[in-house]
Amino acid sequence: MPDPQCLEDFAHDEMLRILARARADKLKVFAEPLIADLGDIEVLDNRSGLVMLPMQDTAQGTHFHLGEVLVSEAHIKAMGFEGYGMRRGRDLEAAMAMALVDLTVAAGIAHSECGAFLRQEAAHQAAQDRDTLRRVEATRVDMETF
Amino acid sequence: MAYVATRGGERAIEQSQRLFREAMGDISADRIQEIRDAMPYLIDRVMGEASLYDEDLAALALAQAGGELYEAILLLRAWRTTQPRLALAAPVTQESLFTHRRISAAFKDIPGGQVLGPTLDYAHRILATEVLSGDTYVPTPVDPAEKPAPAQQPSVAAWQAENGLLTLPQADAVQGNDIPDVTREPLLFPAKRAHTLQSLARAETGGVLALGYAAQRGYGQAHPTVNELRLAEAEVVVTHPRGTRFSAGRVKVSQAEVVNKKGEQLELGFAATMGWNEVKVIAAATLDLNSDGAPKGSATEEEFFLYHTEGVESSGFCIHFKLPHYVTFQSSLDAMRDAKAKKAAKATTPEPAE
Repeated sequence: MPDPQCLEDFAHDEMLRILARARADKLKVFAEPLIADLGDIEVLDNRSGLVMLPMQDTAQGTHFHLGEVLVSEAHIKAMGFEGYGMRRGRDLEAAMAMALVDLTVAAGIAHSECGAFLRQEAAHQAAQDRDTLRRVEATRVDMETF
Repeated sequence: MAYVATRGGERAIEQSQRLFREAMGDISADRIQEIRDAMPYLIDRVMGEASLYDEDLAALALAQAGGELYEAILLLRAWRTTQPRLALAAPVTQESLFTHRRISAAFKDIPGGQVLGPTLDYAHRILATEVLSGDTYVPTPVDPAEKPAPAQQPSVAAWQAENGLLTLPQADAVQGNDIPDVTREPLLFPAKRAHTLQSLARAETGGVLALGYAAQRGYGQAHPTVNELRLAEAEVVVTHPRGTRFSAGRVKVSQAEVVNKKGEQLELGFAATMGWNEVKVIAAATLDLNSDGAPKGSATEEEFFLYHTEGVESSGFCIHFKLPHYVTFQSSLDAMRDAKAKKAAKATTPEPAE
């Protein structure tokens, strides 16, 4: 079985990060038609659960647990490849849609469509972050000492 | 110890729960959405104390409990136990935080500057009573800057270390499942630092504030200055089955460092929690700063503040006193009556003749 593939413009971690933050409605609409090209899909997991989030203390360097984050997870297999999705929240369908995109890309199918979807969502997320940070920047104190 | 089996309360209990829930009316998806959107800081407080991050679940718990915080947090802590732990994320570091607010009260010119972010610190506290007369309160929109702020802000402590004011800690080699976890092992004293910080992260805000305030007013050994306060978002970095590490999304976190002079260097106290809750992290960092060498039974002694700020345990213990204690109270009455009878008998018995 060949190695799983990646998109030309997006490293695997970057693709997963964008999919995990993608708008749920758009992700589901995009992923659903991908099912047709994947043959029999085995669902290994599709469930909600918790991810424990540790943090590093800046006073003494200790790692400690901040608390748990609710996530939904999907883990699927088809054509000898794996697809995986994990997103914040309890939307199992969105996690499954993420796993479908991951699996489709790994199997080397619909790369140009997946790339276009990722570019669209990446641009949306970047615009959101930029908007947030412009508003944060407006609160910078321009300190003047007399 | 004795127990008495009684019955007859079943109907009353059923009706009392109906009476409580009837007052809140129907709970719909719209109500959950409204609570979530309109009260983000309340949602954050509940998520932090429940130690479970999900805004929808927090809003639902608040709706079901009618805003009774202890009930809402108990609901979430109970629900959490029904869920499997799927993964352990990579540790969040200060420098990686997507920062919305970062200020220092110790130094004016910190690297990265003072960024106020969302705050009412400098606001006039005026109640918008016109809303009660039918007007709509419309907040004035932000005038965004031309350029965005940097997403990440440098560490104030790292800058202080460069200037010889403090020594940065060594990186902790304990990772993953080896990090001590108070949800899976008992809290023992002297507590592991990981247990202390985790317990403070999930502690009840009012309790932490009360004890932190006691330390700030003078019942502690060290006077805190806020070295750095951050409201930010942290990436939840998990691992794909193929080994790729990726962010499954962001969560809001608060973090405070407080500082005090110790010998020729500065000493830091630290606290963090999920959600944005400044009061809690400043008070908790004050307790951390003061805990070393604190007298037994004082507000700043670790065992004292960790036991007394665990909200589910403390509220549960408090409200258990209203549950039937008929046998124990009867026992107290018996003892009281017995003492009274003995005293009366002693008073009526003549003294023996000499």
